[in-house]
Amino acid sequence: MSELTVSQALTRPGRRTMEAAPLRVLIWRRFLRHRLAVVAMAVLGLVIASAVFAPLSRYTPTQQNPTNALQPPSPQHWFGTDDLGRDVFTRTLYGGRISLAVGLSATLLSLLIGVVVGMVAGYFGGVVDNVLMRITDGFLTLPTLFVLILIATLLREIPALGLVSGVIIVILVIAVLSWMWPARIVRGEFLRLKQRDFVTAAESIGAGHGRIMARHILPNTVSLIIVQGTLMVAYAIITESGLSYLGFGVQPPTPSWGNLLATAQTYALRAPWLMIFPGLMIFLTSMAINYIGDGLRDAFDPYSAR
Amino acid sequence: MHKTGAPFIAHRRAPALLTLTVLLATLLLAACGAPSSEPQTSGETAGPGQIIVIIPEEPASLNQYHAVAAIVRQVADAVSAPLAVPDENGAFIPVLAAELPTVENGGVSPNYLTVAWKLRPGLRWSDGEPLTSDDIKFTWEAVSHPESGNVLALGFEKIASIETPDELTAVITYKELNQAYLQQFMYGILPRHATGAPEEMLQWAWNRNPVSAGPYVVKQWNSGESIVMERNPYYYLEGQPYIDRVIFTIVPDPGAQIAMMAKGEAHVHLWPGEVKEIYDAQVAGQAALQEVPGQWNMTLFFNLSRPFDGDPGPEPPHPILGDLRVRQAIAHAIDYDLIVTAVNPGTFPTATPFAYGWYKCDQERKYPYDPERARALLEEAGWVEGPDGIRVAQGAPYAEDGTRLRVQLNGYTNFQPLVKLEEALVEMFRVVGIEATIQNDDFSIIFGSYEDGAPRQLGNFDILVYDTSLPIEPQASIENTYLSTAIPTAENPAGNNSSRWVNLRADELIRAAGATVDLEARRAAYCELSELIATELPRLNLYLFTEGYGASNRLSGYKVNMWGSLTWDIQNWKLE
Amino acid sequence: MRTYFLKRVLHAIPLLFVLSVVLFLVVRSAPGGPLAQAERNPNITAEQRQQLRERLGLDQPLYKQYLDWLGAVLQGDLGRSIKSNRPVAEVIGERIPNTLLLVGVAFVLTIAIAIPLGAISALRQYSWFDYLVTTLSFAGQSMPVYWLGLVAILIFYVWLDNPFTGGPLLPAGGMYTLGAPRTLADLIWHMILPVGVLCATWVAWYSRFFRASMLETLNADYVRTATAKGLPRGRVIYGHAGRNAVIPLVTMIALDLPSVFAGTLFVETIFSWPGMGRLFWEAARGRDYPVLMAIIMINAVLIVLANLIADMLYARLDPRVRYE
Repeated sequence: MSELTVSQALTRPGRRTMEAAPLRVLIWRRFLRHRLAVVAMAVLGLVIASAVFAPLSRYTPTQQNPTNALQPPSPQHWFGTDDLGRDVFTRTLYGGRISLAVGLSATLLSLLIGVVVGMVAGYFGGVVDNVLMRITDGFLTLPTLFVLILIATLLREIPALGLVSGVIIVILVIAVLSWMWPARIVRGEFLRLKQRDFVTAAESIGAGHGRIMARHILPNTVSLIIVQGTLMVAYAIITESGLSYLGFGVQPPTPSWGNLLATAQTYALRAPWLMIFPGLMIFLTSMAINYIGDGLRDAFDPYSAR
Repeated sequence: MHKTGAPFIAHRRAPALLTLTVLLATLLLAACGAPSSEPQTSGETAGPGQIIVIIPEEPASLNQYHAVAAIVRQVADAVSAPLAVPDENGAFIPVLAAELPTVENGGVSPNYLTVAWKLRPGLRWSDGEPLTSDDIKFTWEAVSHPESGNVLALGFEKIASIETPDELTAVITYKELNQAYLQQFMYGILPRHATGAPEEMLQWAWNRNPVSAGPYVVKQWNSGESIVMERNPYYYLEGQPYIDRVIFTIVPDPGAQIAMMAKGEAHVHLWPGEVKEIYDAQVAGQAALQEVPGQWNMTLFFNLSRPFDGDPGPEPPHPILGDLRVRQAIAHAIDYDLIVTAVNPGTFPTATPFAYGWYKCDQERKYPYDPERARALLEEAGWVEGPDGIRVAQGAPYAEDGTRLRVQLNGYTNFQPLVKLEEALVEMFRVVGIEATIQNDDFSIIFGSYEDGAPRQLGNFDILVYDTSLPIEPQASIENTYLSTAIPTAENPAGNNSSRWVNLRADELIRAAGATVDLEARRAAYCELSELIATELPRLNLYLFTEGYGASNRLSGYKVNMWGSLTWDIQNWKLE
Repeated sequence: MRTYFLKRVLHAIPLLFVLSVVLFLVVRSAPGGPLAQAERNPNITAEQRQQLRERLGLDQPLYKQYLDWLGAVLQGDLGRSIKSNRPVAEVIGERIPNTLLLVGVAFVLTIAIAIPLGAISALRQYSWFDYLVTTLSFAGQSMPVYWLGLVAILIFYVWLDNPFTGGPLLPAGGMYTLGAPRTLADLIWHMILPVGVLCATWVAWYSRFFRASMLETLNADYVRTATAKGLPRGRVIYGHAGRNAVIPLVTMIALDLPSVFAGTLFVETIFSWPGMGRLFWEAARGRDYPVLMAIIMINAVLIVLANLIADMLYARLDPRVRYE
């Protein structure tokens, strides 16, 4: 992280004052000044902790008691019970593990593909750009359901994946269907930036393509990538829940916030707590991630007003 | 360097806004003038003479002979003209026929090859034209035409000729026996004057706006939104139907459906997909789920053959489920009472596929709930408990030592009662040391065909979980499900013996039942088959779902009919 | 540049051919088939299902089915729906105006709200207004649309009543009141919730995006230079910063436009809106291949066009982007 920002600072002339203190420290200080981002950090920390310490709950996520189904919140069951008498509190905590894992992995995978494709296309331009961008266009036309079914069919032939295959399917589907947006954005930035003086300067001192792309241009796109990335984590968590609503999310009985919410939809009038608590968790997490992204953006930006 | 384009926004904002406004206005106008299949008739507003029926999906047409999807009949019966239909007890009653043809009243010849239908006098189609025996003849001509697109197996090809000695009588001569002769016209007769050529039946305009002899006629069909029906002025029953207008509205989301029922805005709710207890609590006082035992039989289908070996045939055996003792252990592991009382409350336990109809068998459960017995059987079959409580193979006949006792439950998505059952089964299996995972697939995959790569047909599954049903005349279905020759393969892709069950006694019994017209003898054969199934466990029957719909407390006069559709008696419905 | 775009348009034609092959394969090689409903119907025998397969040509080799389909499409015939046997063009034609109306209105409103919101909150960074807009826009995109939709139905349909009529404050779904005359006012009344939910999520996305790129450009050297040269603030903002901030937004909008036509599945499902999103989903679930391929290909054409337009606008808006 600090490396990126060092070169970022170097590429922007006339900002020598920034080098007085180590950049890492400066950025951290700037981030701390964004109070909501700090609060968001704490909230996200809590959410992650709750997922990590989920086994401390006195119930297991799949422990059933069908004769005690759809009970409202009580001292025994803080978030009530679901249609098989399972503890919704415990399931919500465990659901967080899946949803956070899906959100982060899908985003990282998607950014990885998207940034590389966008970078290469924008930097080299011409035929490379043309081919890569047409492939990108092609991916935009893929119908979600069929991508999902194809990936699921392929993975089913690998029985070793067992229980995790359902989660992997969801991660792959989200990544395969979303890397085109960061790719477009990064490409656009590269097209714009590659004609700047600092690139020409780097070229004139004989820097290689890889170095120019990674060290000189990429850092200038970091703030856009971060904004995009944070939006995408939240997007991935919400997409997972959308897939569940359509019946194609993480398979039961493994809880995820998405499939908890999707099941709750049918009980909205009889057992609203089923939709409130997982919904609240998605909401809090997504808000927190967005604020953190906001804070990071400001912190990275050497021109930030703070 | 930026001067050239400086005033860009200022320059273009105005035209952009103008464009947007124009676009918006155009869209609004376009929508108002959006075509609907019929012009609006009058300014009548919602009144007591109108009910709203929620349907979760849209029927493709109202021609029941093309009805691949179950939703079609649920709506189309309101505009259909059947000669006779099964009532709520499964006994046929005449509708447009003056009486049921029988041997006693001379309507049926003693060899059952001639059947004479007599129409009620004075019948008219909804356009005022008389309905005559010639329309019965036309129905046969149309439906039996090879290009008609008919999908229903009603035995029209067995008819040799239809004579119409007078306007009210149609005499049908069969080439061979049609056991289901009373069913022949239960999906309605077609008007010769208002349809079209038989070979163009798939494209008839009639299919979506039928000239009807049923209680209602289609007034307006708004694609994806609603089908508005009004009473047929020529309906044969005086003063009926009682409700002037019925609006079928397509509401796909279950939450929105429930909200409309709870608010009292909708009166009937097809396929709520929920148990009565929860449904009634959700719509608090406005409506209630009306249900009777239905024909959907929740079943576990065990794969007796090895999956993913590229061979759809019965050999080699399934490493886990190929052993009868493992299947028995699974049967012993299931708490059947808990399932029908708490997991899917309101369902009816059954241990046989022959759970209703004239062929109903009283089948006892061979392997009742007994986890101890289940554990003992698994030990005996060479599955010993591993460190995490899940068993592993040690001397099991078909599995390599060290194989984990893991099976996958394979159902279809978007049906909450099925998911609940699977989740309960996973817990029950775990208690005896079996690990189960759930993989629910798209409806089109689970029920796809061999050529579509459906795992059910290719034999790539462990245990299928879904509900299945038998028609009133079950022989064809039984032959295609239990005969050893009905195992789906590339040569026989439509076979339905997905368990890959080979049992020579079963083959004998099924063939014997197919060779006789004696219902008692057939039933005896089916019940022996039922006994074999319950013992050998190619499948395990769990319970029957109820058949029914949510109905407003203001509605009365309806009868839920497991053999019929939602609208089979819509002419009797009353509001308030 | 004209030759560049001419070239792009020419390239689009083989691209669409390749896409049609790929998409046909993707749709057809996924397990599942259109006769699943028949499989579930106890009154349809196995023999009849086989006949149905043959009538629909599903027993033909895949390449032949593709060529048949392509041949017909090139002659302007999209085929007939497997489900309803009606011409695909007619089936789709009934839904397009509904979707254009719903999504078009929501889109236009979104842009009209999002650009000023994003701009003001960028200009007054860290003001209370900025915090409010930021928080609201985060909130808008932090919930699944179907959840928002159901909550909206619960609040405005189930719980809140219209004080004058005693009926629900807003309808639960559909385009018009059932059994009542179809009026513009009724239509607008039915559009409030679905448009509202769409805007709540979209405004969030676009205003956030615009704020970010506006901040970026406000801090760029040429904007600072312009300010230093003493150009009026309004001119700097609209002429320099605004213009450059619009560039990424334009890309974004152009890329999203096809979804305007494809419809939005969740909102249409929750609010029973008879649009393209639902039609597509039903066709996908039921493997109604002719309807499916038609919608997928229309979508593909729109996406290819949208990308072309995005690049074109990009070049016009930013003089530094050069295509050769």
